[in-house]
Amino acid sequence: MLEYKAPLRDIEFLMNDLLDYKSHYEALGFEDADPDTVQAILGEAAKFAEEVVGPLNQSGDQEGCKWEDGVVTTPKGFKEAYKQYCEAGWPSLPGAPELGGQGLPASLTMIITEMVGSANWSWSMYPGLSNAATRLLNATGSDEQKELYLKKLISGEWTGTMCLTESHAGSDLGLLRTKATENADGSYNITGTKIFISCGEHDMADNIVHLVLARIEGAPEGTSGISLFVAPKFLLDENGNPGERNSLECGSIEHKMGIKASATCVMNFDSAKGWLVGKPNEGLKGMFHMMNAARVGTATQGVAMAEQGYQGALAYAKDRLQMRSLTGPKNENGPADPIIVHPDVRRMLLTQKAISEGNRAFMYWVNQLVDQEVYGNEDVSKEANAMLDFLTPIAKAFATETGLEAANHGVQMYGGHGFIGEWGMEQVVRDGRIATLYEGTTGIQALDLLGRKVMGSGGALLANFTKVVHKYCKANEGVAEMAEFIEPLAKLNTELGELTGKIGEKAMQNADEVGAASVDYLMYSGYVVLAFMWARMAEVALKNPEDGFMKSKIKTAQFYYARLLPRTVAHRDAMLSGSDNLMSLDEELFAF
Amino acid sequence: MPDYRAPLKDMQFILHDVFEAESQWQNMEGTSHCDRDTADAILGEGAKLAAEVCSPINRSGDEEGVSWNDGVVTTPKGFKEAWVQIAEGGWLGLSGNPEYGGMDMPKMLTGLFEEMMYGGNLSLFLYQSLTMGAALTVNAHGSDELKSKYVPKLYSGQWAGSMCLTEPHSGTDLGIIRTKAEPNADGSYQITGSKIFITGGEHDLAENIIHLVLAKLPDSPAGSKGISLFLVPKITVNEDDSLSGPNGVSCGSTEHKMGIHASATCVMNFDDAKGWLIGEPNQGLACMFTMMNYERLSVGIQGLGCGAAAYQGSLDYARERLQGRAATGVTNPDGPADPIIVHPDVRRMLLTQRAYVEAGRAFGVHVGQQLDISKHGEGEAKTRAAGQVQLLTPIAKAFMTDKGLEGALHGQLIFGGHGYLREWGMEQLVRDARIAQIYEGTNGVQANDLAGRKVVFNGGKDMASMIAEIRQFCSDNASLADLVEPLGKAVDNLEELTNWLLAAAKEDRNAINASAVDFLNAAGYTVYGWMWAKMAAVALKGDAGNAYLKGKVETARFYMQRILPNAFSAAEQVRAGSQPLMAIEDEGFDVF
Repeated sequence: MLEYKAPLRDIEFLMNDLLDYKSHYEALGFEDADPDTVQAILGEAAKFAEEVVGPLNQSGDQEGCKWEDGVVTTPKGFKEAYKQYCEAGWPSLPGAPELGGQGLPASLTMIITEMVGSANWSWSMYPGLSNAATRLLNATGSDEQKELYLKKLISGEWTGTMCLTESHAGSDLGLLRTKATENADGSYNITGTKIFISCGEHDMADNIVHLVLARIEGAPEGTSGISLFVAPKFLLDENGNPGERNSLECGSIEHKMGIKASATCVMNFDSAKGWLVGKPNEGLKGMFHMMNAARVGTATQGVAMAEQGYQGALAYAKDRLQMRSLTGPKNENGPADPIIVHPDVRRMLLTQKAISEGNRAFMYWVNQLVDQEVYGNEDVSKEANAMLDFLTPIAKAFATETGLEAANHGVQMYGGHGFIGEWGMEQVVRDGRIATLYEGTTGIQALDLLGRKVMGSGGALLANFTKVVHKYCKANEGVAEMAEFIEPLAKLNTELGELTGKIGEKAMQNADEVGAASVDYLMYSGYVVLAFMWARMAEVALKNPEDGFMKSKIKTAQFYYARLLPRTVAHRDAMLSGSDNLMSLDEELFAF
Repeated sequence: MPDYRAPLKDMQFILHDVFEAESQWQNMEGTSHCDRDTADAILGEGAKLAAEVCSPINRSGDEEGVSWNDGVVTTPKGFKEAWVQIAEGGWLGLSGNPEYGGMDMPKMLTGLFEEMMYGGNLSLFLYQSLTMGAALTVNAHGSDELKSKYVPKLYSGQWAGSMCLTEPHSGTDLGIIRTKAEPNADGSYQITGSKIFITGGEHDLAENIIHLVLAKLPDSPAGSKGISLFLVPKITVNEDDSLSGPNGVSCGSTEHKMGIHASATCVMNFDDAKGWLIGEPNQGLACMFTMMNYERLSVGIQGLGCGAAAYQGSLDYARERLQGRAATGVTNPDGPADPIIVHPDVRRMLLTQRAYVEAGRAFGVHVGQQLDISKHGEGEAKTRAAGQVQLLTPIAKAFMTDKGLEGALHGQLIFGGHGYLREWGMEQLVRDARIAQIYEGTNGVQANDLAGRKVVFNGGKDMASMIAEIRQFCSDNASLADLVEPLGKAVDNLEELTNWLLAAAKEDRNAINASAVDFLNAAGYTVYGWMWAKMAAVALKGDAGNAYLKGKVETARFYMQRILPNAFSAAEQVRAGSQPLMAIEDEGFDVF
């Protein structure tokens, strides 16, 4: 079984040496989030991840959730772990102080989510969804709704869900059919069926607060006729306590490839009582407001699976004795050398390391931007929002796609043992796979990036990013030891602009050009972002090159540039090849 | 579960039109009994078997899995009936020696049959595959007595076979196995030891199981030169071929795996079991290697079969699933949305799957052809083919299985969230396909075999021969510029890489292993490009109005423009050499 160890050294490096979280928090007025406090909090979170939820990861997968007659039971230990989590005050970390929260920055919760999720992603989904619902309600709910629901959500006594998808309406939410009929008292009756509802029903909390997308009778068709409602599992009595059961229930849970301990529910609303959140027909607007943060949350799963795969594989690569090193035995007293001596095993390990640490650095930058978007003054918030609009689809799709690759390398290094359940490596792949699918598939993220964001802004959102990289390259021009990073980075950064121009021109003639180039464009962009992060990490590390940790950073940066960055070549050629090679084939000619 | 339909039209096009199999069969005495009608009859019957017998129990087999109880392994419902049907059809002897009741069909043809069976139900056909592999080995190296006693019953399916190689501490490195063989006075041996990962090691499909076991004789040399091969039946057989009694062979447990749940992966304990030597003492690995080329191609075809099944499933879904509107205008005005096949990125994924499947199919036939010539041919042609088999086998195993998984992942992604649910069958294809990258030598081991034994250690001779053949094709088809120009560049690239590798290996002992996987990928993308150019060249000679042929040509162009550029990314990664992998110290991998 895998044992997760929180990478606190790397986290400290990112927060202290690379991204100066201290100044970042000060600038946003989070006086309480000083480095000592942050370190103490992260240390405690690491313990919780390693000691409480980590040990439940494999058993949770084997046991899975059980559904019986509408009641969902989570695997052994899950409920108790959640109780501990609440007692320690973790759910209230980012909440507003007037509602019982601790008022700490959202980024801190994200970093904790990374640790807890790396130890046990399925478990982390229960508080994760709850946190998302809390933020949405906080952003769009009325004062009364906040008073009624948020205190209990922030304390963790209740959990929350997001009910969006219907069986015929996934990527295309405009098609959804769930109906809301207004009652005389201003409430609504909600009727419809939602699928893929994570944590829609479970046994961990006293009440579950569902945020539901539905159409008010007579609303316009498509996405402009969708409203958001709050519908609790138990209606609240006059004291605000759970009372009568609302007429909504879990019809079944899905049997899935992975995240088996997370209940993925079919939720049936049968004239369930709900209340409008925000204005009528503006349900998606509220959701979009949340989108960046939600996507960064999913991107974090990419970091988590890469880290799990890396930790598991590294331990095995040092332990497993098989064949001799090509340059002479390294373990003369043993029957064979540990497989870490073999170049190809190192290639896989370094790929995992470069992906895991590169994406972590990327996330911690994005997390700062989310803080600035949420807590900054108008100018700061606007600027951060613009950068996030460009970066979040990349973060979500790139970190999860490369994370899955890293997880698969983990299986591969174990050979046949990687395929066997007891070692835990195949679970990392099965659990991680969902991250490329939910919260908008990789293809949807790519369309969002190239279509809505880059083309939609006339290239402005891209220029925002390339300017930052350009400035960075300029500042390091002529620094001899940085040349191996700065030269290729500057070249790719320029090329990214040129590629965008070429695709943009073609897209004016043919609307299919965007979709045809989008995934290659996103992956190319992702490799540029990671090249930027690795150059910055190398720059910091070069100040102290004798330190083992720093030396490892420099070597990994060099590996990234030499062995992973050339992937941009294939993505470039593919995206430039145009839409004709995708669209010219008649639909009936796909197979015979 | 997607219902599997064997792609007969494409198989026949490749076999008859592209490779002109019949004229080759008629030109060699050993294959002259096979003609086009025979081949088509076999493919037609195989297609029925795959669709009607194998495919319907694929999903249920995964859910039910095999069960182990006190040494007895029970296969899922319907497996035994399927085994009997396949056995009674004579399929286990399809490529077998006619002296013992086999049909001696050429590998060009039997590879296609295998693809159908694996596409229909990988778990099921593994039992047959291992049986055929055991029969092949006994036939090639066993004494006449052993052959006549065991081979006919393996061909008829009355008995099944298994291959017992791996031990817990000894996977890739077979030189360190510990299982022992002690000679008896009557010329037999007593075998003692424990084997793991034994596919089909125990089950309820046949009345006896014939294990081929690697073990060490007393005082045999250390390492791989001291390993011998033994035949150990589950139930010993009397003089008159009737079953005697249990041998000292038992199944200690079955593994719980990521996929191929219906295939029994067994721990096999040999406790003074009676066995008979196959071939010469200490030549066990050499005996194994004769069947290795067949087995490795067969495992490559497993990846292909899963990829083909995933393509079928996701193509059906892409045509049915209505979500979003086409970028260039509504194509399904009467429906609430357009089928997702209108979206360029969905087409990119479908065409990627198709490009890998059909090139892989052609490549499998090509390698089959080389196997046939190396077995039945004469003189220079035979020698050359034997060299090509050596060169191409690791590519077939690794590249076909890598692309099988990639195709299955694309298929799953096209299903969105539904792809993650078990009931749709797409995630099973991912889980099942994953094993093919691991067993029969991991893909890293294959890459090392290619770059080292097959290229560097013979001075690149066989590679040069293949490159010359592709160049000849390009010059013969110079008028097809949009196909042969990119292919020509890829061939130049492969030649340069080969020369680079030959030179680098002289200077650096780590060069081969460090570049192996990327080198194999560069070769794989190039030979798939060759296969596509070959198919398109034939298609372009056919009826211009033929829809099927048109689809072939379009897909070939797609491949050249969108997929082949990966060969150049791989090339840069090869040239980066071993330094980026070896420079980091072992402790540098630890960061936590």
